[in-house]
Amino acid sequence: MDLWHLLFTLALICANDSLSADDDLLQWPQISKCRSPEMETFSCFWTAGNLYNLTVPRILQLLYKKSNEEDWKECPDYVTSGQNSCYFNASYTSVWTPYCVQLASKNEVYDKKCFSVDEIVLPDPPVHLNWTLLNTSQTGIHGDIQVRWDPPPTADVRKGWITLEYELQYKEVNETKWKELKPRLSTMVPLYSLKTARDYEIRIRSRQRTSEKFGEFSEILYVSFSQIGIGCDHCTEEVEFPWFLVLVFGVCGLAVTVISVMLSKQPRLKMLIFPPVPVPKIKGIDPDLLKKGKLDEVNSILACHDNYKTQLYSDDLWVEFIELDIEDPDEKNRASDTDRLLSEDHLKSHSSLGAKDDDSGRASCCEPDIPETDFSASDTCDATSDSDQFKKAAEKEEDLLCLDRQDNDESLPSLANTDLQRQHRNTQSENSHPWAPFGNSVESPHLSVHTQVSNQNSLASTDFYAQVSDITPAGRVVLSPGQKSKLGRAQREGCTEQNFTMDNTYFCEADVKKCIAVTSHEENEPHVQEQGYNEDAYFTTESLTTTVANLGASTAAPPSSEMPVADYTSIHIVQSPQGLVLNATALPVPDKEFNVSCGYVSTDQLNKIMP
Amino acid sequence: PRPDAAAFSAEAVAALALLWLLVCAPGDAGCHPLTVADLFDRVIRHSGRIHSLSTALYEKHFPSRDNELGRPARKCHTSGMLTPNGKEYAQKIPREELTQVILKLLQAWKEPLSHFNQHIEHHQELPDDSLSKAKQISNMVHELKTGVEKVTEKMQSMGIISNSLNGMASSEGTGLSISNEANMMSDSDFIHCFRRDSNKVQSYLKILKCRIMPENSC
Repeated sequence: MDLWHLLFTLALICANDSLSADDDLLQWPQISKCRSPEMETFSCFWTAGNLYNLTVPRILQLLYKKSNEEDWKECPDYVTSGQNSCYFNASYTSVWTPYCVQLASKNEVYDKKCFSVDEIVLPDPPVHLNWTLLNTSQTGIHGDIQVRWDPPPTADVRKGWITLEYELQYKEVNETKWKELKPRLSTMVPLYSLKTARDYEIRIRSRQRTSEKFGEFSEILYVSFSQIGIGCDHCTEEVEFPWFLVLVFGVCGLAVTVISVMLSKQPRLKMLIFPPVPVPKIKGIDPDLLKKGKLDEVNSILACHDNYKTQLYSDDLWVEFIELDIEDPDEKNRASDTDRLLSEDHLKSHSSLGAKDDDSGRASCCEPDIPETDFSASDTCDATSDSDQFKKAAEKEEDLLCLDRQDNDESLPSLANTDLQRQHRNTQSENSHPWAPFGNSVESPHLSVHTQVSNQNSLASTDFYAQVSDITPAGRVVLSPGQKSKLGRAQREGCTEQNFTMDNTYFCEADVKKCIAVTSHEENEPHVQEQGYNEDAYFTTESLTTTVANLGASTAAPPSSEMPVADYTSIHIVQSPQGLVLNATALPVPDKEFNVSCGYVSTDQLNKIMP
Repeated sequence: PRPDAAAFSAEAVAALALLWLLVCAPGDAGCHPLTVADLFDRVIRHSGRIHSLSTALYEKHFPSRDNELGRPARKCHTSGMLTPNGKEYAQKIPREELTQVILKLLQAWKEPLSHFNQHIEHHQELPDDSLSKAKQISNMVHELKTGVEKVTEKMQSMGIISNSLNGMASSEGTGLSISNEANMMSDSDFIHCFRRDSNKVQSYLKILKCRIMPENSC
């Protein structure tokens, strides 16, 4: 018998060897999983592998050991959980105790696992699934149902020993993909909007609340509406909302409406729906002109602007031209600018040049191209005459002032404008009229009031821009001396060297004085003596830095605080391009405080000096 | 790891804070005293959040290695404590004892958690979100302990359990020695042990509640 046994075994071995030498398929016995359905008992399952014991069938044993024990014990129950399993009942189970189990035969250990019972909880599936109809839609196409189930019987949820979460999945019968609901604690869940014409399948699985793994799925629950008699056999396929049509018609309608509105002659309607975007524009002025500094053109355009028409006429002195006789030292010594300006004789003598109270010049204003050669007789557009001057004088017209040169460096150009703009907006709109267009264009060079300096003697030098530096709260325009654009490059360069300490709106006067001093050296223009600022008949505000044009070389004296400060004059009326009406009252000479402070003069300070 | 664990904890803090606001002496005007059932619900929820948080922390950094060829059984510093290891035991022991076990467990973790916080801060082994989780855990445990104490007081005042919970003084002493052991554990062991003990606390609380109030959704 033994011999036969042996022969048989040998034959098997040979057969095995010949048939397959495939050792890869050899599977060792291993523990597949250990599971506790309710945290009171647990079972371990293993696979025997295909390692047949050729001689003697090996007996696989499951040994276990608790953490605080030394000996391995054998599984108490191989039967209850089925084939290749070991069942530990409640008496053998300690929940939070680490266990180790190993699969072994007599001599060999095939697999080992360590765990604690609370980690391997995988609940049984829920039982007693059923569903009830909640309601159906009016058309009967859709219906809501409520699905109910019971927790697995093994899990003792009643005593609170274990808390379960449930996940429900459902799908139509002929679909492949299951829809999932979020895990929830309750044992009932509504399903909304199921199609009554279709049948559904539902399945549920559970897991312990604090774990990640789900147990097995329950049995599938079939939902069929026709069974309870509300199946909608004659229902057609549901009509989906015709989104596409709605969209198309909506777009068409909207387009038609828009087109009709645009084409409609009703300006009001048009305005209502397409309100005009206010664009700050000077009619007829191309901002590019301002950028490029084509001042003559700009001036001519500006001169023709309606806003130039003055709105204020008063008995106050009306100055058409502000003349400078810069070459006449006597004249300078004689009177300050203010005096000159304010004295009627003086003015009249100058205004004779152009103080015609007619519109003769105005008509020609609107032709900016017309050059005006006769400067003195010009009651015409300042722009044109000035343009002449400029054309004669300067090659580079970009730089109105030394400050212009600083445009790139500092925000000077905007200072007067913005300041002016602000003042305008804040104070009187009337006076701000002429300046409003300027103020809007930040890039434009300084807002210059064209003051006709009709000093015939000083040809080129008689053209001056007076920069409006400030508007007093009283509504007066305060000018600052402008610089001719005729200033040469050197002047500009000189100015650029300066380190202008400036804040947004004001320059340090001292710095400007330096600039002036520097530039004055290179000034090739007719000599302009410096006498403070008076000579140029500019209206300077102390705080504003301006490069005074035509400062002669004689004024090479470094600007100092001792330089007499020019008087302030405010413009009372702006009379078209013809000139300015200056306020009669002279402003007091600014105090030393202005001289000293290299900052700006605040409006308060200004107000102090202004009447 | 549960992404909403952090949300849980934030929620828990708020809930527990609310809890303490509302627990007031009878007779206070405008005060709505909570029933014992409510208190229990809250502490149970809180303990559940703690467990979720610790599970998330554990699984993120020390992923479960079920198939490892055995690993040495972890020695937790609370292993020496006598705690019911099964449902029947938990149901059999007196309520006072069960309550005391819960409190002892919570007490035993108080110190080690604070040490753990300091330890991980300095060693930077965990990323920031885990760091915040770990800090949350120690706060929550402290709150839970306070909560359970309040519940205990309430139960004692209502006569549900006797006033024989005077063993706390002794447990304080043992707690100190126990916590010294805790400092020797590695991080993964620490979190694993804590996770286990938080599950214990949660289960005990649930059992206790259903023993005291069997009708309330038990």
